[in-house]
Amino acid sequence: MGVIRPAALGYILGQFLLALGATLLVPLAFSLWSHGGPAPLAYAAVVTGGVGSALFFGLPRPSRDLNRREGLLLVFSIWLAVSVFGALPFYFSPAYFSSFTDAFFEATSGFTASGATILRDIESLPRDLQFWRCFSHWLGGMGIVLLGIAILPLLGMGGMALYRAEFSGARSEKLKPRIAHTAQALWKIYVFLTLAEYVALRWAGMDSFDALCHSFSTVATGGFSTRTASVGAFDSPLIECIIVVFMLLGSVNFTLHYRLWVERRPRRFISDFELRTLLFIVVSSSLVIAAILAWKSGYAPALAFRRALFQVTAVTTTTGFTTDNFAQWLPLPQLILLALMFMGGCTGSTSGGLKTSRMVLLYKVVIREFERMVERRGVFAVRVGKGVIPETAVRSLLNLVYLSFLVNFLGCILLAASGVDVFTSIAAVAAAMFNIGPGLGNVGPVEGYGGLPAFAKWVLSFCMLAGRLEFYTVLVIFTPAFWQR
Amino acid sequence: MRILIAGGGQAASLVATRLIREGNEVVLVEQNPERCRQLEETLDAKVIQGNAASIRVLHEADIRNADMLIALTSEDQINVLACLIASVESDVKFKVARLRTHEVNYWRRILQRAGLHIDLIIHPETEIADRILRVVRLPGVSDVIDFAEGRVKLFGMNIDEKSWVAYKTVEDLDRAGPPKNSLIALIFRGQQVIVPHGAEVLNPGDHVYIVTTADDLERVCQFMGLQTQESLDRVYILGGKQVGIRVAELLEPQGVSVKLFERDIARCERISQILRKTVVLHADGTDESILAEENIKGAGAFLAMTNDDEDNLIASLLARKLGAKKVVALINRLNYLPMAQRLGINTTVSPRLAAVDRILQFVRKGRVLSVTTFREEEAEAIELIAAEGSKYVGRSLREVRLPRGAIVGAIARPNGEVVVPRGEATIQAGDRVIFCTLENTVPLLESAFLADARREWV
Repeated sequence: MGVIRPAALGYILGQFLLALGATLLVPLAFSLWSHGGPAPLAYAAVVTGGVGSALFFGLPRPSRDLNRREGLLLVFSIWLAVSVFGALPFYFSPAYFSSFTDAFFEATSGFTASGATILRDIESLPRDLQFWRCFSHWLGGMGIVLLGIAILPLLGMGGMALYRAEFSGARSEKLKPRIAHTAQALWKIYVFLTLAEYVALRWAGMDSFDALCHSFSTVATGGFSTRTASVGAFDSPLIECIIVVFMLLGSVNFTLHYRLWVERRPRRFISDFELRTLLFIVVSSSLVIAAILAWKSGYAPALAFRRALFQVTAVTTTTGFTTDNFAQWLPLPQLILLALMFMGGCTGSTSGGLKTSRMVLLYKVVIREFERMVERRGVFAVRVGKGVIPETAVRSLLNLVYLSFLVNFLGCILLAASGVDVFTSIAAVAAAMFNIGPGLGNVGPVEGYGGLPAFAKWVLSFCMLAGRLEFYTVLVIFTPAFWQR
Repeated sequence: MRILIAGGGQAASLVATRLIREGNEVVLVEQNPERCRQLEETLDAKVIQGNAASIRVLHEADIRNADMLIALTSEDQINVLACLIASVESDVKFKVARLRTHEVNYWRRILQRAGLHIDLIIHPETEIADRILRVVRLPGVSDVIDFAEGRVKLFGMNIDEKSWVAYKTVEDLDRAGPPKNSLIALIFRGQQVIVPHGAEVLNPGDHVYIVTTADDLERVCQFMGLQTQESLDRVYILGGKQVGIRVAELLEPQGVSVKLFERDIARCERISQILRKTVVLHADGTDESILAEENIKGAGAFLAMTNDDEDNLIASLLARKLGAKKVVALINRLNYLPMAQRLGINTTVSPRLAAVDRILQFVRKGRVLSVTTFREEEAEAIELIAAEGSKYVGRSLREVRLPRGAIVGAIARPNGEVVVPRGEATIQAGDRVIFCTLENTVPLLESAFLADARREWV
């Protein structure tokens, strides 16, 4: 697999941190506007830029491409470093974040586009920090390494290894021959969707700051809002409708977006099997939950559907906006939401979860086992939509599902060990590792994660990173085989 | 440029690596799914799995929008078909195909008459035979590369433990009064490539490349302690495959006595019909007793040209041990090349590298006149014409800042004068400049050197 060269990794990481330092300056405009003086963001930018330039200018330029092992390690290092340095603005604001644990949790939640927060009162947070929370969603949503490949020339080396380590979706087909061009094409679509939502939200009557922040959060399927009551604070059916649409767009495979917006082949978009399945599941779950809400919880039918659709979309796309405290709902709707958390959006999108096509595939694999039991000499191909799935993909899917349950189980044990109750543990770990945000039980939309013990916050931060990189990339680093010569 | 490469073998992946690094978009078509996976992992290119002679597959690879097609599959038929499909189904500007049939010259004519225009047909065996002929008279020299129409020579040699230059620094050699136009340009040491400065020591086992002029070549060889043989005494060729026969054909008219070993009796008979003077021996040339019997000791050259790399290596080692003056081994697998060097077989020829060189030279045509790849990809020698207005023109070499890892090997002036510069020379517009460079500086150098020239052409 090749030798790991710490200097080469440090050099590229340094370049990344320099870029992060520069992006930390973006919200500075809001700092000057809201509270005048030098803001925590400025300090954070100086520290990040300083460390970045020390690495970048202090280390020799690597002469060869990164190998696979280095690629995996670098992707994890970048995510870790971005979470640590992205936490600095929060850490330098002790009025809102009491410890580095809290700051790191918030930043990790931001970059992994989870949207889990430790804050209870968001309106009192200065605007620059509010902006930074949503902006971090946006930077991380499409993949921070992918962004690096698109704009930083040096990442061209080892770009392949990095792309595969971060963008491990089963259908991450290459749009262009060159990796940097593929990354640029994907980012252009991402920017386009964000702008479209911004315009739509402004048109629906949101002010420009809220519209910008919510556009960042929605398209990245993140979930940070500028309001404590999340999108519910606006109480506008139109705004909710727009956000539902863009949450869904954000969780569509970006290859399909490319077919639709760039190649103008709408049929490829509409006829996509995974997208259709996702829409079917969202609509049918919403109807079931709406019926229960209307029948048992005394909601008016129209309101019940509105609340159910928004909550279901927010959870399925792993965004995690809320317009209702679903932690107070009856057990059945809560369990449906928990199941949807595991599923998530489409592969190759900004959303988390195990991804819709994988759930379909899993179902088909189980069915095939039944067929094999009946017809012992039969050879059956696994079909999803029109395509036949190769056996290697089936194997890696089963591994992935097993891994995700293992991480979930271990996470629950660790959370329970730190004194969190069982249902909260299960929901919190699922919400963290599938990058949803608000959980159920004691970490619901209202309570947030602020009340958890510090140890639980570290465990959940790790779960968010592991889930964002689809387990393999993170977990392989902790195997002895990875470090063997 | 968008380049479609048919085939995903070693040569294809090597060409792709280079072209990608120079900023081209590359799509490869490869049949074997496992190989596809490997290529996807190592190359920043799109890989399409399928047969390159399939119209549907080529469309999937977006041949319509490709600027160039390079057909490098192992099958000649597929290469020709791919070119045919490309010429009908798209308007690619350039088509390159590798053909390995010995009927390549007939094919050139037939394709032309059929109206299928292929811009470059590469026949690696011809290229290799030419290379062999250039070094066969220079026992210590591993290879000789021509630049500026042969006015400038770059030759490689191994530093031998017993040679007087071993353990000397480059400065020591300078003080010993070398012929005027000579310069040690590159040193290959193990996996490393070094552009030497004065204090660099020449260790035994190093492989060095020296730039000189055509007239000074022999004197420089003598200075470096190498023998040259005016008249080639006896040449032994192992293996009656295309390269072997071709080399024999070229040597016969020069009055060299050639003997060719071939294991297969039927082939022996065929070869004896083709070659007039060459003695064809039905024998196993990897057998030490047979070689000893044939009196290899003192033979002018021993050329191991079978299709089997291992046979070639073993036979070459034997021939060297038995005292052949010059030993050349044909090596197919690129990863054997460094090892062959370490074993002391200083001249190796590789059909793949030969094809890669020709393709890169063609792709860069108009910008770069000549290109040579050393080993797999670590270093290159390239020849550029200094354009009017380039930032290097009109300034002495001390003033211009070359990219790290690049040196000017020679300057060939339009009036025929050749300078191997030592710092003070000045590049003038129209000069052909030969650079030796570590691989990663090639695009940099090229754009700096030609920035203005390229703009003129547009």
